[in-house]
Amino acid sequence: MSTGGHNRATTAGRLSVLVGALSVPAFVGVWELIARSRIVNAVLFPPPSTVAVAVLDWIHSGQFFGDLSASLFRVTVGFLIGTTGGIMLGVLTGRFRLVSSLLSPLFHILRPIPPIAFVPIVILWFGLSEAGKLFLVVWGVFFTVWLATHIGVQKVDRGLIRAALMLGTPRRQMLSEIILLGALPYIVVGLRTAVSISFYTLVAAELAGAFAGIVYRIEIAQQNMQTGQVMGGLAALGLLSFVADRSFAAIAERAVWWR
Amino acid sequence: MVAMMQNPLRPTSPLRLVDAPPEPSSTAPEATIRVENLSIVFDVPRGEVIAVDRVSLAVMPGEFVSLVGPSGCGKSTLLNAMAGLERPFEGEVMVAGKPMLAPRPDIGMVFQQPHLFPWKSVRRNIAHGPRALGKSKTEALRIADDLIEMIGLTKFASSYPHTLSGGMQQRVAIARALANQPRVLLMDEPFGALDAQTRAVMQDNLLELRDRINATIVFVTHDIDEAILLSDRVLIMSAGPGRILRDLSVGLPRPRSSAILTDPAYLALKRDCLDLIRTEGRKAFEQMEAVT
Ligand SMILES: Nc1ncnc2c1ncn2[C@@H]1O[C@H](COP(=O)(O)OP(=O)(O)O)[C@@H](O)[C@H]1O
Ligand SMILES: [Mg+2]
Repeated sequence: MSTGGHNRATTAGRLSVLVGALSVPAFVGVWELIARSRIVNAVLFPPPSTVAVAVLDWIHSGQFFGDLSASLFRVTVGFLIGTTGGIMLGVLTGRFRLVSSLLSPLFHILRPIPPIAFVPIVILWFGLSEAGKLFLVVWGVFFTVWLATHIGVQKVDRGLIRAALMLGTPRRQMLSEIILLGALPYIVVGLRTAVSISFYTLVAAELAGAFAGIVYRIEIAQQNMQTGQVMGGLAALGLLSFVADRSFAAIAERAVWWR
Repeated sequence: MVAMMQNPLRPTSPLRLVDAPPEPSSTAPEATIRVENLSIVFDVPRGEVIAVDRVSLAVMPGEFVSLVGPSGCGKSTLLNAMAGLERPFEGEVMVAGKPMLAPRPDIGMVFQQPHLFPWKSVRRNIAHGPRALGKSKTEALRIADDLIEMIGLTKFASSYPHTLSGGMQQRVAIARALANQPRVLLMDEPFGALDAQTRAVMQDNLLELRDRINATIVFVTHDIDEAILLSDRVLIMSAGPGRILRDLSVGLPRPRSSAILTDPAYLALKRDCLDLIRTEGRKAFEQMEAVT
């Protein structure tokens, strides 16, 4: 390859990095201009500066951290319970034909129902309690992780299982090491999907009625026509799920440590 | 061609391939492996496949026996039955006097693919067996380190399998199988996936290794050179359904080297063997044609 070609390539690379860095500020700038130009209704489309003020007020009022921790708690605990259950049952249905015959048909019927559709019945069962919110997140996460694990377990190299059998590997270790680690690459993919599902079900859970939480705050602001606060809430939610997804991607890369 | 096989003895050469004396089936308790009238049948969508058809054989303690035959003739199935990975449909497989119904740690197995645990280092792969059998971590790792030295991979003790070449991986697989000090070592085309050069080195290694461990070895291969070079006895299997066609003693002095493979007398004998196998292979092919 010639040096000229190399230079051209790096120039193009630098340019795209520069444009990438300007993308968000440019969007915010254009939005500010349009909102202030009175082409649009500033109450419905407040400029970013108004949104920033609303977010600062939210933080100063002390509600922000209450809302953040309420939402984080639901997402994290729901995710952990749902994925633990999904992995455990996935190993069992993937490994034992009888358990699979018992549970898989049921799971395959329940899995395609969008978790949001369970909001009414969750309210009937749990009212506005915290348990109901966790239930929705757990429910949303469970089936994805279960299916990923189930498939992963079935794809574990048979030769690996035979080799382990020949070495006298006890039953327990067979499940907890050979099967689980053999299926890990699939499980990790399921977990990554589960991260975004947990946020998506969080929205449904908080819209169904809550006393704190980022989505709850968005809903209250909407009822008070505080559009700036609504947008600030959306930005906070977007940032939160972005950070969660990226951190999980980083963890996932190291989870399959032998690659 | 089969007629030529009736007397494959060549008195002019020290290298001899002779029909083994028939096994006295009544006085056989001393055999390490005893297969008695074994049949194994698989259910397939179109009916049944007889993979092994009434096979009887015995392997004496410390013996190295090769199973040779066309692909699909049931070599792996027979070996798996000796490993306890496949249950008899009919007949019996006894190892060390006990019937094989499930895998046992006194029987080691090396497959065509290394099947190393990808999440474990070389050292921990080899230590897996002793650990599974309840040895302490220190003890298991000591066993592993000794074996790593024996296979000459000390520099790679903490490497992960995917960073090793195919030949190195297979050496680790052999060491892993030996870590439980098996009475019987079963090898299913262990060098079949390696290039010719690596295969030759691995054969020499195995010849050396054999003198240092006292395991009874059953070795599956479709390479007649490999079978004769390594074994005390070669069992030639017929095209499916698998039966044992010939049981030949290899009267070659030990220790052996690959030099014997070019001896003219040896070559003549090998040709006879190949003719037999080729006839069988053609039969197998015609059977397949007839089915499809
Ligand atoms: N698990 C199985 N299910 C169905 N058929 C099988 C199975 N394993 C082997 N067979 C059949 O049994 C025959 C012998 O196979 P195998 O023992 O693998 O032969 P070889 O090792 O000599 O190539 C083949 O026809 C193969 O298709
Ligand atoms: Mg085979």
